[in-house]
Amino acid sequence: MQYLLIIYSNEAERDPATLQEITAAHMRLGAELQETGAMVGGNRLKPSDTATTIRTTGGVQSLHDGPYAETREQLAGYYLVEAADLDAAIAWGRKIPGGQNYAIEVRPIWPIG
Amino acid sequence: VNAEAILADTVREAGDRIRAALAIRFRDLDLAEEAFGFASLRAVETWSRDGPPRDPAAWLYAVARRRAFDLGRRAKVRRDAIHDAPQPPSNPETLLLAAFEPIPDERLRLIFICCHPALAPEARIALTLRTLCGLSVERLARAWLTTEAAMQQRLTRAKRKIRDARIRFEIPEPDAWGERLEAVLATLEIAYAQAYEDAAGASEAADLAGETLRLSRLLTELLPDEAEVLGLAALIRLAESRRPARLDAAGAMAPLSEQDVRLWDDRLIDEAIALMRRAAEIGRSGPYQLMAAIHAAHATRRETGFIAWGDIATLYDYLLTVRPSPVAQVNRAVALAEALGPDAGLAALDAIEDPGRLAGWLPYQAARAGICAKAGRAGEAAQALRAALALDPAPAERLFLARRLAELSA
Repeated sequence: MQYLLIIYSNEAERDPATLQEITAAHMRLGAELQETGAMVGGNRLKPSDTATTIRTTGGVQSLHDGPYAETREQLAGYYLVEAADLDAAIAWGRKIPGGQNYAIEVRPIWPIG
Repeated sequence: VNAEAILADTVREAGDRIRAALAIRFRDLDLAEEAFGFASLRAVETWSRDGPPRDPAAWLYAVARRRAFDLGRRAKVRRDAIHDAPQPPSNPETLLLAAFEPIPDERLRLIFICCHPALAPEARIALTLRTLCGLSVERLARAWLTTEAAMQQRLTRAKRKIRDARIRFEIPEPDAWGERLEAVLATLEIAYAQAYEDAAGASEAADLAGETLRLSRLLTELLPDEAEVLGLAALIRLAESRRPARLDAAGAMAPLSEQDVRLWDDRLIDEAIALMRRAAEIGRSGPYQLMAAIHAAHATRRETGFIAWGDIATLYDYLLTVRPSPVAQVNRAVALAEALGPDAGLAALDAIEDPGRLAGWLPYQAARAGICAKAGRAGEAAQALRAALALDPAPAERLFLARRLAELSA
Protein backbone atom coordinates (compact mmCIF):
# COMPACT_ATOMS: atom_id res chain seq x y z
CA MET A 1 0.00 0.00 0.00
CA GLN A 2 1.22 3.49 -0.81
CA TYR A 3 1.21 6.49 1.49
CA LEU A 4 1.83 10.15 0.75
CA LEU A 5 3.93 11.83 3.41
CA ILE A 6 3.22 15.53 3.11
CA ILE A 7 5.65 17.99 4.64
CA TYR A 8 4.32 21.24 6.13
CA SER A 9 6.88 23.73 7.38
CA ASN A 10 7.26 27.37 8.27
CA GLU A 11 9.04 29.08 5.40
CA ALA A 12 9.92 32.11 7.50
CA GLU A 13 11.90 29.98 9.92
CA ARG A 14 14.64 29.00 7.48
CA ASP A 15 18.21 30.16 7.69
CA PRO A 16 20.64 28.96 5.01
CA ALA A 17 22.78 26.88 7.38
CA THR A 18 19.90 24.78 8.73
CA LEU A 19 18.45 24.53 5.24
CA GLN A 20 21.68 22.97 4.04
CA GLU A 21 21.68 20.57 6.97
CA ILE A 22 18.06 19.60 6.33
CA THR A 23 18.72 19.08 2.63
CA ALA A 24 21.59 16.74 3.46
CA ALA A 25 19.29 14.81 5.83
CA HIS A 26 16.71 14.52 3.04
CA MET A 27 19.38 13.05 0.75
CA ARG A 28 20.23 10.44 3.38
CA LEU A 29 16.56 9.58 3.92
CA GLY A 30 16.07 9.34 0.14
CA ALA A 31 18.96 6.89 -0.11
CA GLU A 32 17.53 4.79 2.72
CA LEU A 33 14.09 4.73 1.07
CA GLN A 34 15.71 3.65 -2.20
CA GLU A 35 17.76 0.90 -0.58
CA THR A 36 14.78 -0.62 1.21
CA GLY A 37 12.61 -0.35 -1.89
CA ALA A 38 10.10 1.89 -0.11
CA MET A 39 10.63 4.95 -2.32
CA VAL A 40 7.98 5.53 -4.94
CA GLY A 41 8.62 9.22 -5.43
CA GLY A 42 9.11 12.55 -3.76
CA ASN A 43 10.10 16.12 -4.28
CA ARG A 44 10.56 19.41 -2.58
CA LEU A 45 8.52 22.42 -3.67
CA LYS A 46 9.61 25.99 -4.33
CA PRO A 47 8.36 28.47 -1.68
CA SER A 48 4.65 29.16 -1.54
CA ASP A 49 5.05 32.69 -2.93
CA THR A 50 5.66 31.00 -6.29
CA ALA A 51 2.28 29.23 -6.07
CA THR A 52 -0.72 29.98 -8.23
CA THR A 53 -4.16 28.75 -7.24
CA ILE A 54 -6.87 28.01 -9.78
CA ARG A 55 -10.14 28.33 -7.95
CA THR A 56 -13.49 27.29 -9.37
CA THR A 57 -16.49 29.03 -7.86
CA GLY A 58 -19.93 28.27 -9.16
CA GLY A 59 -18.35 26.68 -12.22
CA VAL A 60 -16.26 29.76 -13.02
CA GLN A 61 -12.49 29.53 -12.83
CA SER A 62 -10.24 32.29 -11.65
CA LEU A 63 -6.55 32.55 -10.85
CA HIS A 64 -5.07 33.68 -7.58
CA ASP A 65 -1.52 34.51 -6.66
CA GLY A 66 -0.45 32.39 -3.73
CA PRO A 67 -1.07 28.98 -2.14
CA TYR A 68 -4.49 27.44 -1.52
CA ALA A 69 -4.38 28.15 2.19
CA GLU A 70 -2.56 31.06 3.78
CA THR A 71 -1.36 29.25 6.88
CA ARG A 72 1.74 29.62 8.97
CA GLU A 73 2.95 26.19 7.91
CA GLN A 74 3.01 25.62 4.19
CA LEU A 75 3.18 22.57 1.95
CA ALA A 76 6.89 22.21 1.34
CA GLY A 77 7.31 18.82 -0.26
CA TYR A 78 6.29 15.18 -0.15
CA TYR A 79 7.42 11.59 -0.26
CA LEU A 80 5.39 8.81 -1.81
CA VAL A 81 6.31 5.54 -0.09
CA GLU A 82 5.36 1.91 -0.27
CA ALA A 83 4.63 0.60 3.23
CA ALA A 84 2.97 -2.48 4.69
CA ASP A 85 0.66 -0.50 6.93
CA LEU A 86 0.05 2.87 8.58
CA ASP A 87 2.53 2.13 11.35
CA ALA A 88 5.32 1.51 8.84
CA ALA A 89 4.38 4.68 6.95
CA ILE A 90 4.42 6.66 10.22
CA ALA A 91 7.87 5.25 10.97
CA TRP A 92 9.10 6.72 7.65
CA GLY A 93 7.27 9.98 8.37
CA ARG A 94 9.08 10.32 11.67
CA LYS A 95 12.40 10.19 9.85
CA ILE A 96 11.63 13.15 7.60
CA PRO A 97 13.87 16.06 8.67
CA GLY A 98 12.65 19.65 8.99
CA GLY A 99 14.14 21.46 11.95
CA GLN A 100 12.39 22.17 15.25
CA ASN A 101 8.80 22.96 14.19
CA TYR A 102 7.08 21.22 11.33
CA ALA A 103 4.41 18.66 10.56
CA ILE A 104 4.14 15.55 8.42
CA GLU A 105 0.72 14.41 7.28
CA VAL A 106 0.45 10.71 6.47
CA ARG A 107 -2.28 9.87 3.97
CA PRO A 108 -3.03 6.52 2.36
CA ILE A 109 -3.22 6.54 -1.42
CA TRP A 110 -6.64 5.60 -2.76
CA PRO A 111 -5.90 3.76 -5.99
CA ILE A 112 -8.21 4.42 -8.93
CA GLY A 113 -9.77 1.42 -10.60
CA VAL B 1 -32.81 -25.63 29.02
CA ASN B 2 -32.43 -21.89 29.39
CA ALA B 3 -30.34 -21.17 26.31
CA GLU B 4 -30.38 -17.45 26.87
CA ALA B 5 -28.97 -17.75 30.38
CA ILE B 6 -26.21 -20.07 29.19
CA LEU B 7 -25.43 -17.67 26.36
CA ALA B 8 -25.28 -14.72 28.76
CA ASP B 9 -22.88 -16.63 31.03
CA THR B 10 -20.72 -17.66 28.09
CA VAL B 11 -20.56 -14.14 26.70
CA ARG B 12 -19.66 -12.74 30.09
CA GLU B 13 -16.93 -15.35 30.55
CA ALA B 14 -15.49 -15.56 27.07
CA GLY B 15 -17.14 -12.86 24.95
CA ASP B 16 -14.16 -10.53 24.85
CA ARG B 17 -11.84 -13.38 23.92
CA ILE B 18 -14.09 -14.57 21.09
CA ARG B 19 -14.66 -11.06 19.73
CA ALA B 20 -10.92 -10.33 19.78
CA ALA B 21 -10.03 -13.64 18.12
CA LEU B 22 -12.54 -12.95 15.32
CA ALA B 23 -11.43 -9.35 14.81
CA ILE B 24 -7.77 -10.31 14.57
CA ARG B 25 -8.27 -13.39 12.40
CA PHE B 26 -10.38 -11.52 9.84
CA ARG B 27 -8.74 -8.13 10.31
CA ASP B 28 -12.13 -6.53 10.10
CA LEU B 29 -13.90 -5.18 13.19
CA ASP B 30 -17.31 -4.87 11.52
CA LEU B 31 -17.20 -8.37 10.13
CA ALA B 32 -16.24 -9.73 13.55
CA GLU B 33 -19.09 -7.88 15.21
CA GLU B 34 -21.63 -9.11 12.69
CA ALA B 35 -20.42 -12.69 12.87
CA PHE B 36 -20.50 -12.70 16.66
CA GLY B 37 -24.04 -11.31 16.62
CA PHE B 38 -25.11 -14.02 14.20
CA ALA B 39 -23.55 -16.77 16.31
CA SER B 40 -25.30 -15.47 19.44
CA LEU B 41 -28.69 -15.54 17.72
CA ARG B 42 -28.05 -18.99 16.31
CA ALA B 43 -26.95 -20.19 19.76
CA VAL B 44 -30.29 -19.35 21.34
CA GLU B 45 -32.20 -21.17 18.56
CA THR B 46 -29.98 -24.23 18.46
CA TRP B 47 -29.35 -24.64 22.16
CA SER B 48 -33.03 -24.36 23.07
CA ARG B 49 -33.81 -27.09 20.54
CA ASP B 50 -30.85 -29.48 20.92
CA GLY B 51 -29.49 -28.55 24.33
CA PRO B 52 -26.29 -26.61 24.97
CA PRO B 53 -22.98 -27.89 23.54
CA ARG B 54 -20.23 -29.26 25.76
CA ASP B 55 -18.16 -26.12 25.25
CA PRO B 56 -20.48 -23.19 24.50
CA ALA B 57 -17.61 -20.71 23.98
CA ALA B 58 -15.90 -22.92 21.41
CA TRP B 59 -19.27 -23.44 19.73
CA LEU B 60 -19.85 -19.69 19.48
CA TYR B 61 -16.35 -19.14 18.13
CA ALA B 62 -16.67 -21.88 15.51
CA VAL B 63 -20.08 -20.70 14.28
CA ALA B 64 -19.01 -17.04 14.23
CA ARG B 65 -15.83 -17.92 12.37
CA ARG B 66 -17.70 -19.86 9.73
CA ARG B 67 -20.16 -17.00 9.38
CA ALA B 68 -17.31 -14.52 9.00
CA PHE B 69 -15.76 -16.63 6.24
CA ASP B 70 -19.09 -16.74 4.42
CA LEU B 71 -19.69 -13.03 4.83
CA GLY B 72 -16.10 -12.29 3.90
CA ARG B 73 -16.29 -14.38 0.76
CA ARG B 74 -19.53 -12.76 -0.18
CA ALA B 75 -18.15 -9.27 0.33
CA LYS B 76 -14.93 -10.23 -1.47
CA VAL B 77 -12.89 -8.99 1.44
CA ARG B 78 -11.03 -12.27 1.64
CA ARG B 79 -7.96 -10.84 -0.01
CA ASP B 80 -7.62 -8.59 3.06
CA ALA B 81 -7.70 -11.54 5.43
CA ILE B 82 -4.40 -12.79 6.80
CA HIS B 83 -2.61 -15.08 4.42
CA ASP B 84 -2.23 -18.03 6.73
CA ALA B 85 -5.93 -18.10 7.61
CA PRO B 86 -7.10 -21.68 7.10
CA GLN B 87 -9.86 -22.56 4.67
CA PRO B 88 -13.34 -22.64 6.15
CA PRO B 89 -14.27 -26.06 7.53
CA SER B 90 -16.31 -27.70 4.82
CA ASN B 91 -17.62 -30.96 6.24
CA PRO B 92 -19.15 -31.98 9.57
CA GLU B 93 -15.94 -33.66 10.79
CA THR B 94 -13.74 -30.59 10.37
CA LEU B 95 -16.48 -28.46 11.83
CA LEU B 96 -16.61 -30.72 14.87
CA LEU B 97 -12.85 -30.62 15.27
CA ALA B 98 -12.77 -26.89 14.81
CA ALA B 99 -15.31 -26.54 17.58
CA PHE B 100 -12.72 -27.81 20.05
CA GLU B 101 -9.90 -25.68 18.78
CA PRO B 102 -8.84 -23.41 21.61
CA ILE B 103 -9.81 -19.77 21.14
CA PRO B 104 -6.59 -17.81 20.69
CA ASP B 105 -6.15 -14.93 23.10
CA GLU B 106 -5.95 -11.86 20.88
CA ARG B 107 -7.37 -9.40 23.39
CA LEU B 108 -4.14 -7.49 23.84
CA ARG B 109 -3.71 -7.09 20.10
CA LEU B 110 -7.25 -5.80 19.79
CA ILE B 111 -6.72 -3.34 22.64
CA PHE B 112 -3.59 -2.00 20.96
CA ILE B 113 -5.48 -1.56 17.69
CA CYS B 114 -8.48 0.16 19.29
CA CYS B 115 -6.18 2.45 21.31
CA HIS B 116 -3.84 3.29 18.44
CA PRO B 117 -2.47 6.84 18.83
CA ALA B 118 -3.47 7.58 15.23
CA LEU B 119 -7.13 7.41 16.40
CA ALA B 120 -8.83 10.31 18.15
CA PRO B 121 -8.57 9.88 21.95
CA GLU B 122 -12.33 10.16 22.44
CA ALA B 123 -12.93 7.41 19.91
CA ARG B 124 -10.44 4.93 21.38
CA ILE B 125 -12.24 3.95 24.54
CA ALA B 126 -15.63 3.77 22.85
CA LEU B 127 -14.12 1.49 20.22
CA THR B 128 -12.49 -0.70 22.86
CA LEU B 129 -15.67 -1.03 24.87
CA ARG B 130 -17.66 -1.76 21.72
CA THR B 131 -15.40 -4.24 19.93
CA LEU B 132 -13.78 -5.97 22.90
CA CYS B 133 -16.38 -5.75 25.65
CA GLY B 134 -19.42 -5.72 23.39
CA LEU B 135 -21.11 -2.69 24.96
CA SER B 136 -24.04 -1.44 22.89
CA VAL B 137 -23.86 1.84 21.03
CA GLU B 138 -26.86 2.99 23.03
CA ARG B 139 -25.07 2.31 26.32
CA LEU B 140 -21.91 4.06 25.14
CA ALA B 141 -23.91 7.09 24.03
CA ARG B 142 -25.49 7.29 27.48
CA ALA B 143 -22.12 7.13 29.23
CA TRP B 144 -20.75 9.94 27.06
CA LEU B 145 -23.94 11.99 27.25
CA THR B 146 -24.26 12.02 23.50
CA THR B 147 -26.76 10.74 20.96
CA GLU B 148 -26.69 7.23 19.57
CA ALA B 149 -26.20 8.67 16.09
CA ALA B 150 -23.19 10.70 17.18
CA MET B 151 -21.66 7.72 18.97
CA GLN B 152 -22.29 5.47 15.97
CA GLN B 153 -20.58 8.01 13.75
CA ARG B 154 -17.58 8.22 16.07
CA LEU B 155 -17.22 4.43 15.99
CA THR B 156 -17.75 4.16 12.25
CA ARG B 157 -15.16 6.81 11.55
CA ALA B 158 -12.57 5.08 13.76
CA LYS B 159 -13.24 1.69 12.20
CA ARG B 160 -12.99 3.16 8.72
CA LYS B 161 -9.65 4.69 9.53
CA ILE B 162 -8.33 1.39 10.88
CA ARG B 163 -9.35 -0.27 7.64
CA ASP B 164 -8.61 2.42 5.05
CA ALA B 165 -5.39 3.81 6.47
CA ARG B 166 -4.48 0.21 7.38
CA ILE B 167 -3.53 0.39 11.02
CA ARG B 168 -1.21 -2.48 11.92
CA PHE B 169 -2.85 -5.56 13.42
CA GLU B 170 0.23 -6.58 15.37
CA ILE B 171 1.58 -6.10 18.86
CA PRO B 172 3.77 -2.95 18.63
CA GLU B 173 7.51 -3.31 18.01
CA PRO B 174 9.86 -2.56 20.94
CA ASP B 175 10.74 0.89 19.58
CA ALA B 176 7.05 1.87 19.44
CA TRP B 177 6.07 0.04 22.65
CA GLY B 178 6.33 3.01 25.03
CA GLU B 179 4.17 5.34 22.99
CA ARG B 180 1.62 2.67 22.19
CA LEU B 181 1.28 1.50 25.79
CA GLU B 182 0.95 5.11 26.90
CA ALA B 183 -1.96 5.54 24.49
CA VAL B 184 -3.66 2.45 25.93
CA LEU B 185 -3.22 3.66 29.51
CA ALA B 186 -4.35 7.19 28.65
CA THR B 187 -7.47 5.71 27.04
CA LEU B 188 -8.37 3.82 30.20
CA GLU B 189 -7.63 6.88 32.28
CA ILE B 190 -10.01 8.98 30.17
CA ALA B 191 -12.69 6.32 30.49
CA TYR B 192 -12.38 6.25 34.23
CA ALA B 193 -12.32 10.04 34.51
CA GLN B 194 -15.57 10.06 32.54
CA ALA B 195 -17.04 7.55 34.97
CA TYR B 196 -15.74 9.42 38.00
CA GLU B 197 -16.74 12.95 37.04
CA ASP B 198 -20.00 13.46 38.86
CA ALA B 199 -19.80 12.69 42.57
CA ALA B 200 -23.47 11.77 42.48
CA GLY B 201 -22.37 8.76 40.42
CA ALA B 202 -25.17 8.53 37.92
CA SER B 203 -25.82 4.88 37.21
CA GLU B 204 -24.47 5.07 33.65
CA ALA B 205 -21.18 6.40 34.94
CA ALA B 206 -20.94 3.79 37.68
CA ASP B 207 -21.58 1.20 35.01
CA LEU B 208 -18.71 2.57 32.94
CA ALA B 209 -16.51 2.50 36.02
CA GLY B 210 -17.22 -1.22 36.34
CA GLU B 211 -16.11 -1.81 32.74
CA THR B 212 -12.96 0.24 33.30
CA LEU B 213 -12.12 -1.77 36.41
CA ARG B 214 -12.55 -4.95 34.42
CA LEU B 215 -10.45 -3.70 31.48
CA SER B 216 -7.66 -2.50 33.75
CA ARG B 217 -7.57 -5.90 35.46
CA LEU B 218 -7.48 -7.65 32.10
CA LEU B 219 -4.54 -5.49 31.12
CA THR B 220 -2.65 -6.48 34.29
CA GLU B 221 -3.19 -10.10 33.33
CA LEU B 222 -2.04 -9.56 29.76
CA LEU B 223 0.94 -7.36 30.68
CA PRO B 224 1.94 -8.49 34.19
CA ASP B 225 5.45 -7.02 33.92
CA GLU B 226 4.51 -3.45 33.05
CA ALA B 227 4.68 -1.46 36.28
CA GLU B 228 2.55 1.40 34.97
CA VAL B 229 -0.23 -1.00 33.94
CA LEU B 230 -0.32 -2.21 37.54
CA GLY B 231 -0.12 1.40 38.73
CA LEU B 232 -3.12 2.47 36.67
CA ALA B 233 -5.16 -0.54 37.78
CA ALA B 234 -4.34 0.39 41.40
CA LEU B 235 -5.18 4.05 40.81
CA ILE B 236 -8.60 3.23 39.35
CA ARG B 237 -9.35 0.86 42.24
CA LEU B 238 -8.39 3.41 44.89
CA ALA B 239 -10.53 6.12 43.29
CA GLU B 240 -13.42 3.71 42.87
CA SER B 241 -13.13 2.45 46.46
CA ARG B 242 -14.43 5.81 47.64
CA ARG B 243 -17.54 5.94 45.49
CA PRO B 244 -19.87 5.01 48.41
CA ALA B 245 -18.38 7.84 50.52
CA ARG B 246 -18.36 10.63 47.97
CA LEU B 247 -21.75 12.05 48.97
CA ASP B 248 -22.94 12.87 52.45
CA ALA B 249 -26.46 12.26 53.76
CA ALA B 250 -27.69 15.55 52.26
CA GLY B 251 -26.35 14.63 48.82
CA ALA B 252 -23.46 17.08 48.97
CA MET B 253 -19.96 16.16 47.81
CA ALA B 254 -17.76 14.92 50.64
CA PRO B 255 -14.12 15.89 50.03
CA LEU B 256 -11.66 13.02 50.22
CA SER B 257 -10.06 14.18 53.47
CA GLU B 258 -13.46 14.37 55.20
CA GLN B 259 -15.03 11.18 53.90
CA ASP B 260 -16.24 8.53 56.31
CA VAL B 261 -13.57 5.85 55.94
CA ARG B 262 -15.99 3.15 57.02
CA LEU B 263 -17.84 3.61 53.74
CA TRP B 264 -14.76 2.96 51.61
CA ASP B 265 -14.62 -0.35 49.75
CA ASP B 266 -11.91 -2.28 51.61
CA ARG B 267 -11.72 -5.01 49.00
CA LEU B 268 -10.82 -2.53 46.24
CA ILE B 269 -8.26 -0.79 48.46
CA ASP B 270 -6.60 -4.09 49.35
CA GLU B 271 -6.53 -5.11 45.68
CA ALA B 272 -4.91 -1.79 44.82
CA ILE B 273 -2.25 -2.12 47.52
CA ALA B 274 -1.38 -5.62 46.26
CA LEU B 275 -1.06 -4.26 42.69
CA MET B 276 1.19 -1.44 43.92
CA ARG B 277 3.44 -3.91 45.73
CA ARG B 278 3.85 -5.88 42.52
CA ALA B 279 4.58 -2.66 40.62
CA ALA B 280 7.18 -1.61 43.18
CA GLU B 281 8.93 -4.97 42.80
CA ILE B 282 9.32 -4.32 39.08
CA GLY B 283 11.13 -1.14 40.08
CA ARG B 284 10.17 1.23 37.29
CA SER B 285 8.27 4.19 38.63
CA GLY B 286 5.94 6.36 36.59
CA PRO B 287 3.07 8.82 36.83
CA TYR B 288 0.31 6.24 37.37
CA GLN B 289 2.19 4.61 40.23
CA LEU B 290 2.79 8.04 41.78
CA MET B 291 -0.87 9.01 41.49
CA ALA B 292 -1.82 5.65 43.00
CA ALA B 293 0.66 6.27 45.82
CA ILE B 294 -1.01 9.62 46.57
CA HIS B 295 -4.42 7.96 46.73
CA ALA B 296 -2.96 5.17 48.85
CA ALA B 297 -1.52 7.73 51.27
CA HIS B 298 -5.05 9.07 51.74
CA ALA B 299 -6.32 5.52 52.14
CA THR B 300 -4.04 4.87 55.12
CA ARG B 301 -6.36 7.15 57.12
CA ARG B 302 -8.42 3.97 57.36
CA GLU B 303 -5.86 2.54 59.83
CA THR B 304 -4.02 5.56 61.25
CA GLY B 305 -6.85 8.06 61.56
CA PHE B 306 -4.72 10.86 60.15
CA ILE B 307 -3.44 12.01 56.75
CA ALA B 308 0.31 12.24 56.11
CA TRP B 309 0.07 15.53 54.21
CA GLY B 310 3.83 15.99 54.12
CA ASP B 311 4.28 12.68 52.29
CA ILE B 312 1.48 13.61 49.92
CA ALA B 313 3.12 16.96 49.09
CA THR B 314 6.39 15.14 48.36
CA LEU B 315 4.63 12.67 46.09
CA TYR B 316 3.14 15.60 44.17
CA ASP B 317 6.66 17.02 43.79
CA TYR B 318 7.73 13.76 42.15
CA LEU B 319 4.60 13.67 40.03
CA LEU B 320 5.20 17.21 38.79
CA THR B 321 8.65 16.25 37.56
CA VAL B 322 7.35 13.36 35.42
CA ARG B 323 3.93 14.69 34.49
CA PRO B 324 3.38 18.38 35.15
CA SER B 325 -0.26 19.49 35.23
CA PRO B 326 -2.34 22.24 36.83
CA VAL B 327 -4.33 19.60 38.77
CA ALA B 328 -1.16 18.30 40.41
CA GLN B 329 0.04 21.84 41.16
CA VAL B 330 -3.24 22.79 42.82
CA ASN B 331 -3.38 19.56 44.82
CA ARG B 332 0.22 20.04 45.91
CA ALA B 333 -0.68 23.49 47.23
CA VAL B 334 -3.56 21.99 49.21
CA ALA B 335 -1.23 19.35 50.70
CA LEU B 336 1.36 22.01 51.58
CA ALA B 337 -1.31 24.14 53.26
CA GLU B 338 -2.19 21.17 55.46
CA ALA B 339 1.39 20.08 56.11
CA LEU B 340 3.13 23.44 56.61
CA GLY B 341 0.30 25.90 57.09
CA PRO B 342 -1.94 28.00 54.86
CA ASP B 343 0.79 30.50 53.96
CA ALA B 344 2.85 27.77 52.30
CA GLY B 345 -0.27 26.64 50.45
CA LEU B 346 -1.12 30.12 49.21
CA ALA B 347 2.48 30.70 48.13
CA ALA B 348 2.35 27.47 46.13
CA LEU B 349 -0.99 28.47 44.56
CA ASP B 350 0.34 31.89 43.65
CA ALA B 351 3.44 30.33 42.12
CA ILE B 352 1.36 28.48 39.51
CA GLU B 353 1.79 30.11 36.15
CA ASP B 354 -1.03 31.49 34.05
CA PRO B 355 -3.38 32.63 36.85
CA GLY B 356 -5.70 34.16 34.24
CA ARG B 357 -6.59 30.76 32.89
CA LEU B 358 -6.79 29.20 36.36
CA ALA B 359 -9.33 31.79 37.52
CA GLY B 360 -11.94 30.13 35.31
CA TRP B 361 -11.13 26.68 36.60
CA LEU B 362 -13.25 25.22 39.35
CA PRO B 363 -10.71 23.04 41.23
CA TYR B 364 -8.42 26.06 41.52
CA GLN B 365 -11.11 28.30 43.04
CA ALA B 366 -12.27 25.52 45.37
CA ALA B 367 -8.69 24.94 46.57
CA ARG B 368 -8.10 28.67 46.98
CA ALA B 369 -11.29 28.96 49.04
CA GLY B 370 -10.23 26.12 51.32
CA ILE B 371 -6.75 27.48 51.94
CA CYS B 372 -7.93 31.08 52.47
CA ALA B 373 -10.56 29.92 54.95
CA LYS B 374 -7.89 28.01 56.84
CA ALA B 375 -5.76 31.15 56.92
CA GLY B 376 -8.65 33.10 58.39
CA ARG B 377 -9.03 35.19 55.24
CA ALA B 378 -12.79 34.83 55.10
CA GLY B 379 -13.36 37.56 52.53
CA GLU B 380 -11.00 36.00 49.97
CA ALA B 381 -12.38 32.54 50.70
CA ALA B 382 -15.93 33.74 50.04
CA GLN B 383 -14.81 35.41 46.84
CA ALA B 384 -13.23 32.18 45.61
CA LEU B 385 -16.34 30.20 46.55
CA ARG B 386 -18.55 32.59 44.62
CA ALA B 387 -16.21 32.30 41.63
CA ALA B 388 -16.38 28.49 41.90
CA LEU B 389 -20.18 28.53 42.12
CA ALA B 390 -20.31 30.66 38.99
CA LEU B 391 -18.43 27.95 37.08
CA ASP B 392 -21.37 25.59 36.83
CA PRO B 393 -20.38 22.82 39.28
CA ALA B 394 -22.15 19.45 39.27
CA PRO B 395 -25.13 19.39 41.69
CA ALA B 396 -23.31 17.58 44.53
CA GLU B 397 -20.35 19.93 44.36
CA ARG B 398 -22.65 22.96 44.17
CA LEU B 399 -24.28 21.88 47.42
CA PHE B 400 -20.88 21.47 49.05
CA LEU B 401 -19.59 24.86 47.89
CA ALA B 402 -22.80 26.66 48.85
CA ARG B 403 -22.66 25.13 52.32
CA ARG B 404 -19.05 26.31 52.78
CA LEU B 405 -20.09 29.77 51.70
CA ALA B 406 -22.94 29.78 54.23
CA GLU B 407 -20.54 28.64 56.98
CA LEU B 408 -18.18 31.51 56.15
CA SER B 409 -20.94 34.09 56.35
CA ALA B 410 -22.23 32.69 59.63
